Amino acid sequence: MLSADLIREARLRSGITQAELGRRINRSQSQVARWERGAVTPSFETTLELIRACGLDLWYELAVYDDSYVEDVRRNLALSPAERLAEADELERGYEHLRRAGVAALG
Amino acid sequence: MSSSVDTSTSDAPASRRLAEFRQRPLLEALVRHGVDFVVIGAVAAIAQGYPLTTRDLDVTPAAEPGNVERLAAAIRDLDGKLRVTGGDPVPFPAEAAFLGNVQSWTLDTRGGDLDVLFEPAGTRGYDDLKTDAVDVDLGGGLVVAMASLRDVIRMKEAAGRPKDRAQLPALRQTLEVVRERERR
Repeated sequence: MLSADLIREARLRSGITQAELGRRINRSQSQVARWERGAVTPSFETTLELIRACGLDLWYELAVYDDSYVEDVRRNLALSPAERLAEADELERGYEHLRRAGVAALG
Repeated sequence: MSSSVDTSTSDAPASRRLAEFRQRPLLEALVRHGVDFVVIGAVAAIAQGYPLTTRDLDVTPAAEPGNVERLAAAIRDLDGKLRVTGGDPVPFPAEAAFLGNVQSWTLDTRGGDLDVLFEPAGTRGYDDLKTDAVDVDLGGGLVVAMASLRDVIRMKEAAGRPKDRAQLPALRQTLEVVRERERR
């Protein structure tokens, strides 16, 4: 998730305006708007300061890089929205069948 | 202001014919009754490329009284009952005054499971979500507003339950791939 998304998410979750967030860290509303649009990328430290000004915190840890869903997403994007939903539903029906079979097998 | 999501002709193999998705009757009923709503949760994400599955439909309706009246009519039309874990669905009075006084409803309907949330976690409800929603064309004249991927992520983050958090890696990767595609 990009810093622009994190800042927007934190502000909306705390229910404040861009102007109010700017006031809390002594920056203008237009500067906050530029960060949220991704027109300007703030430093990690500034991103953290903005999130904390919203009354939230950003927990961070190093993790193994995982892009295991990326190919599935790319394949889905080649479908229309209705086809994406239909395919997900077909998969879900398959899982339901397996769950029922598993429950039956367990007696 | 709603934007639209890519609904261009599919380039999926023509030989593959998928059945209709199960949430369509619910969406059609809500649209037929003129309900203003935004689809949230997994259905919104799947329509935008998210690769996992779901059974139910989650929606956030506008909370103004006229809209709640229309929602109540749609729920009655769908024979909506309260969904009870491990038990039979329970009939209830689907009246606007009753519906509008409770933040969320989990319903069993003729068209499948329907969850109604007036103010999902991390949001201020319909107007908040509508701002960044995308209009998704589901074919057959059915066009519905769906929460943007970043708002689906916002709600999952704010809800914070293990089942919500488990969906975040796939949601974030979906957003990244969509962004990458938009940049090209």
